[in-house]
Amino acid sequence: MFQNSGLSLDQAPPISVVLRFFLGGSLWGVVAGLWLMLHGEEALDPAAPAALILTHLLTLGVMLSFMLGALFQMLPVLAGVSFRQPTLMAIRTQWPLYFGIVALIEAFSTAQKALYLLALLFLGAGLLPVASRMLARLYHLRNHSPSSRGMGFALYNLLLLFFVGAWLALLVGGWVSRGDLLALRQLHLGLGLFGWIGLLIVSVSFQVIEMFYVTPPYPKFWARRLPLGITGLLTLELVAALNFPSLLPWIESLVLLLLLIHGLLTLRRLSQRQRPLADATVWFWRTGMVSLVLAALLIVTGHLMPLPRPFQDLSYVLYASFALSVVFAMAYKIVPFLTWFHLNAQGYFTAPMMHEVIHPRYAMRHLAIHLTTLFTAIVAAFITPELWRVTGVLLALEFSWIALAIYKAWHLYLHVQATEERFDFGGMEAK
Amino acid sequence: MKRHFLDARKLEHPEPLERSIAILRELDEGAYLYMLHRKEPHPLLALAREHRLNYLSRQRGEEWHILITPNREIDLEPLLSSPPEKHTDR
Repeated sequence: MFQNSGLSLDQAPPISVVLRFFLGGSLWGVVAGLWLMLHGEEALDPAAPAALILTHLLTLGVMLSFMLGALFQMLPVLAGVSFRQPTLMAIRTQWPLYFGIVALIEAFSTAQKALYLLALLFLGAGLLPVASRMLARLYHLRNHSPSSRGMGFALYNLLLLFFVGAWLALLVGGWVSRGDLLALRQLHLGLGLFGWIGLLIVSVSFQVIEMFYVTPPYPKFWARRLPLGITGLLTLELVAALNFPSLLPWIESLVLLLLLIHGLLTLRRLSQRQRPLADATVWFWRTGMVSLVLAALLIVTGHLMPLPRPFQDLSYVLYASFALSVVFAMAYKIVPFLTWFHLNAQGYFTAPMMHEVIHPRYAMRHLAIHLTTLFTAIVAAFITPELWRVTGVLLALEFSWIALAIYKAWHLYLHVQATEERFDFGGMEAK
Repeated sequence: MKRHFLDARKLEHPEPLERSIAILRELDEGAYLYMLHRKEPHPLLALAREHRLNYLSRQRGEEWHILITPNREIDLEPLLSSPPEKHTDR
């Protein structure tokens, strides 16, 4: 019954498109962990280049990689948006992006102006074509789900984020003089952390929480209006950054309150699952949402009154924990599923089952490392700053852990393709 | 036609797909899969299209009714009208 026509499955991209981004993101995570290990407490000081570098390793290297991989996979499935030659498109996105990250790190380290321009060129070449193409396709979509609408708004915020980042780089380099550096920096942070990372996770959650974990859906009004609400507020923040910088903390606090409510709604839904047992991905989602709620509370409090340094550090740690926990939850769902599904759809019925691609115990062990990393970071923030270096080691370990899982899944996929026989569906006849 | 019924409404992703593919592998021309799902299962339908299976997907109320068979001659619409009564051990 299955025929040897290969897997086009309408529009789904080849598995390598997704896995290359996930693997790349994991390796940047290892670099981020090693950076924190080498620089310790300094990497948490917002005024230090080491902190700028750590932030961009995590946001550009890790998060952008995983999120682009997820978008390549989810846009065809959720919105029917697919691209011709997705592999070529992925390669043309990934390599300039990674060269751009290296150039940006060098620019932050050496403060050489030319390197900022080089970083902008590479990052723009990697990011702008893919983000604008995805956004254009979503813009012309007739029937939107809350997820596809949210992804569109998140991509819009990503483009704004890039242009504000470019403006900042030109301002720092002395090529332009207009603009308040601090206000633009705050706007850049808001667009990146809340408008891009936060909103994309929110958009994904609209679809996957209900689908993966059989929970009640999010309230319709919430799912339809939240992406617009967050993006509207961030656009207002853009206007405020140029004209009324004193309003920035207030606007950002409203965005954070929306994210906080979404975190609570998601936790509520996860508690309404019909299955009593929870696998590692459920716990990663729970960790992420608890981290989001606490981080939002801390950041909003920080906008109302000065926070002591340990609490500031804790807010960074918790927001990172929110984003990374969800990334791990998604990766442990997507990678085994794609490996198994692509092979089955191609007719490799002797292909390994999903739990054989990545065993649930392997994911649970990662969860243990992840929670240990989080705990160590909290202790480092409040008691022993020396533990930041240990946190770095643990961060590198957990990204190595997931990199190994992704590599093994990819290797297994290629091995089955190379060695196993395809079968005809109806009669189970070997071809 | 022998019906293989799969109630996937309360199964967590990707169990519905895993189980339905297991059933499809064993179907012959005289049998069909009848699945109930809370969402329209796009990957399964794409897979059915890819492998030129005869399939039907209809929403009734909150549920999706999915019928798939290797038999390309049969009209699945009349089978849809009879709601599944028995559950097989899937």
